[in-house]
Amino acid sequence: MLSTTRPSHPARALARLHALPQQTRETLFVLLVVAWVLLPHLAQLPVWASALVGLMLLWRAQLALAGAALPARWTLAALLGLAVAGTLFTHHSLVGMEAGITLVALLLALKTLEMRARRDAFVVFFLGFFAVLTQFLSSQSLGTAAYMLVAMLGLLTALVNAHLPGSATPLRVAARTAARMAALGLPLMVLLFVLFPRVAPLWGVGEAAPRARSGLSATMSVGSMAELALDDSVALRLRFETPPAPGSALYFRGPVLSRFDGRQWLPLDEVPARTSHAPEVLQTQGAPLRYEITLEPTTQPWLLVLDATPEAPQAPGLRARATPDLQWLADPGTPGTSGTPGGAGLQRYQAQSFLQFQYGPRQWHPDLPAYTALPPGGNPRTLAWAAQLRATPALASADARTLSAAVLQRLGSGDYGYTLSPGIYGEHTADEFWFGRKVGFCEHIASAYVVVMRALGVPARLVTGYQGAQRNAIDGYWTVRQSDAHAWAEIWQEGQGWMRVDPTAAVSPWRPGADTRLAVPGGPMAQLLGRVGLGRVGPGAWSTARAAWEAVNNQWNQSVLNFGQGAQVALLKRMGIEAPSREDLVSVLAYALAAVLAVGGALGALWAAWPARRANPSQVVLRQLHRRLRAIGLPLPAHLSPRQIAQRLEQHFGAAATPVCHWLLQFEHWRYGPRSDAAALRLLQTQWKTLVWPQRHAPGKARP
Amino acid sequence: MNPLRRARTRFQQWWQARLRPNDCQTLTQRNVYIVPTAPGLLLAATLLVLLVASINFQLNLGYALTFLLGGCSLVGMHLGHATLRGLDLQLLAPQPQFLDASASLNVQLRNPGQASRYGVGLAVFGSNDWLWSEVPAQGSYTLQLPWQAPRRGIVALPLLTVESRFPMGAFRVWTVWQPASSVLVYPRPEAGAPTLPAAGSAARAGVAARAPNRSDVEWDGLRPYRRGDALKHIAWKPSAKAMASGAGALVSRDTQAPQTTQTADLWLDYGATGLSDKEARLSRLCAWAKSADQQELRYGLRLPGVQIAPASGAAHLHHCLEALALC
Repeated sequence: MLSTTRPSHPARALARLHALPQQTRETLFVLLVVAWVLLPHLAQLPVWASALVGLMLLWRAQLALAGAALPARWTLAALLGLAVAGTLFTHHSLVGMEAGITLVALLLALKTLEMRARRDAFVVFFLGFFAVLTQFLSSQSLGTAAYMLVAMLGLLTALVNAHLPGSATPLRVAARTAARMAALGLPLMVLLFVLFPRVAPLWGVGEAAPRARSGLSATMSVGSMAELALDDSVALRLRFETPPAPGSALYFRGPVLSRFDGRQWLPLDEVPARTSHAPEVLQTQGAPLRYEITLEPTTQPWLLVLDATPEAPQAPGLRARATPDLQWLADPGTPGTSGTPGGAGLQRYQAQSFLQFQYGPRQWHPDLPAYTALPPGGNPRTLAWAAQLRATPALASADARTLSAAVLQRLGSGDYGYTLSPGIYGEHTADEFWFGRKVGFCEHIASAYVVVMRALGVPARLVTGYQGAQRNAIDGYWTVRQSDAHAWAEIWQEGQGWMRVDPTAAVSPWRPGADTRLAVPGGPMAQLLGRVGLGRVGPGAWSTARAAWEAVNNQWNQSVLNFGQGAQVALLKRMGIEAPSREDLVSVLAYALAAVLAVGGALGALWAAWPARRANPSQVVLRQLHRRLRAIGLPLPAHLSPRQIAQRLEQHFGAAATPVCHWLLQFEHWRYGPRSDAAALRLLQTQWKTLVWPQRHAPGKARP
Repeated sequence: MNPLRRARTRFQQWWQARLRPNDCQTLTQRNVYIVPTAPGLLLAATLLVLLVASINFQLNLGYALTFLLGGCSLVGMHLGHATLRGLDLQLLAPQPQFLDASASLNVQLRNPGQASRYGVGLAVFGSNDWLWSEVPAQGSYTLQLPWQAPRRGIVALPLLTVESRFPMGAFRVWTVWQPASSVLVYPRPEAGAPTLPAAGSAARAGVAARAPNRSDVEWDGLRPYRRGDALKHIAWKPSAKAMASGAGALVSRDTQAPQTTQTADLWLDYGATGLSDKEARLSRLCAWAKSADQQELRYGLRLPGVQIAPASGAAHLHHCLEALALC
């Protein structure tokens, strides 16, 4: 039977497609566009909604192919009810952003089932545009932009096609028109994009952007960072204005977690109220590192900066405050230039950090016991081991640094290993790490370390953030990925303050900031490329390609996504306006629009007047001829052929008209003969100038 | 009639009176009008919502999308205007027609421009029966607009309107055009009229026997289908073959007017129709004249104040019908 199966050529499928009626093909095209628009949404919609959207589109395609009637009104009403009920059930609302996106996707798919007349393309078109915009809420990357440009051209094509009534015009005419409109509309888009005043949100957006990625979370429970480690996407980009520091020294400070309930690490919420008693002194040494950070969209207000940053990060309109833990936060409602924290936009700011610093109370302080608290009954073996260590004569009265060294020595003894898949830890996570599995990644290691330090009576806490960065050789930006998320510890040393200890480094010395990175499986793209064999091109080529891609992406981020008030002000300054205000922006926009309209109008008028001038050469000659005929008193109708004109001339003037008649016959031969080349025409035009014309009949009015 | 409607009627009469009737109209800036349509307003609302969403969520790509769509709409407005601007409308001389018969006005759209014009619609002003066409660059397209004259006699052609919503449907671009020509409308031929009155000619019976039937008309041959060919002129079998072979076009029979073969004398008299109503009489006379012409008889026509001597042939038929129309 295998031998009888027909090969399915793409050409055959194409031929079958061409055999379909025009209307079916158009419907299929609209469905294709809708599917294209909705495809990126499917991952984010509730599963039932994705399934419903897919089913409705497939059903509509099947109906189109079968030429069957569209579903009855009550079926549509039932589907609509299902969509609304499902949305209400999932999101408990119809008005929120998530609910809105779900509804738009469902309505768009539902509308295709109601697409009776081609004018219904309107509704599909407008809903489609909303769907495109909602996709930008989750991603504004270069890839998304390109994808959505295709979607927009598809929607436009569908719309134009709907306005090609009553004729079997091929779809490519509509596509060409849509492309032409987009191309001609582009200058206006650029102008408006550059000059349209960027204002703060008109009203509160309500909930935060739903799907902005959060690299770090405000709490840390064992296992929560496993996913982050696998996430190869970019967390932030860094551009040094001073000579850069080595990667191993780059610790981007995130939330500090000091409260441990046995499973979860939480921030100390009482700390802010008590900071007045414990002035957290920050002393810096050495030269500062100056840099600019572009933070990828995040749901958190954290402004990630290097340890330690004494001054607030600078950005137009950005208001930042510091926590007592030395972390910087953006004030809620800060009108960012593009994207407020909590929005889906990028955020760019400048900061200045010192890698050498002293921080925290130098002397014993009543706050410090909070950093030695451990949940009662937890990790008994670790506590016993700590007691045993304390009992060692050498460590009986040792300071924090010495105790830490002893613990780190055990970590580095070779018994402990670093792994991305340590499995699920039980109740006593520190016990399990120290005496059970002996493997884990940074959070297990750091958590176990802090627990034992606290058991030893040393104030200790967890710090989360990012560690390390990779330099992109193409554009010189340093990239910090989600997979660079890290957890380390801080212990309090008398006379010194808080000291950073990275216990993970003791386990696997290459992990923090080493050049040979952890072999992360990579993002979906990398995995896909690896599967199709591109992985074989070698790590060098692969990383070069990735660096190039990220450089392009970064350029996109810096110049397009980050284009905001600041860039507009800079532009106006370059145009010679001293202190640009929003009014200046509006007036420049108005002038520019007026100029565009004036130039466009002038060009349009020229274009409209042009056809008269670009008449073909024979029309020009004929026009001259008739002018001449009127001049010699023989106005003839315009429809006469050259031969007929010659006959009339001969009748009227007799032999005097012979040269003209001869010329006219030659002209006729040129115009209607087998060959009408330009050289012959030029000869005719030359002859025309020296042609001897008969004189006007009326005496006394003869012309020279 | 309420005052608003009266005012509107007055306004319409006013501007219609301003139109200069013309059989060949060139569309320019001066006579092409443009307004946004309801979907156009919906598009504007969409743009506004997209803009507000872009502002509220601070989406730079949202701005880009909104402005690109706005730019496209503006370009679409110009493309729409350019669809009609520069188009030449030429009324082809209208043929006389029977009252209430399905008749059409032939309008040629000529495009002197370098680009094809799509989605150009033609309709009688006030009606909603659009005929759509696309006019190729430097080419022309002839539309047959169905139109029924309201009465017999010499009837002025209706006000026509040409419209386009190309390319986005956001703007309606239109023009109104009053053709200068008028059309001669014959009376309605009575359906099921009684047989022709006795002609008093002995030859009649024989003529009737030999009168060629319409279906016996000789076919000249086949030619590709042209728009406007009657259904009954389509050669279905060859068409089916042509379609099966992939050529894909309908084939029509080429007709030639039947040869005139026979003459006979007959008077069609206004006073001898057996009816009293004027229109009914004219209607019957009209049917008789047609019937007599079909049977290729010699016939004359007597109307109050008009008498047409017996003759036959197409010109004679037209002469008689014209007399009936103008009676």
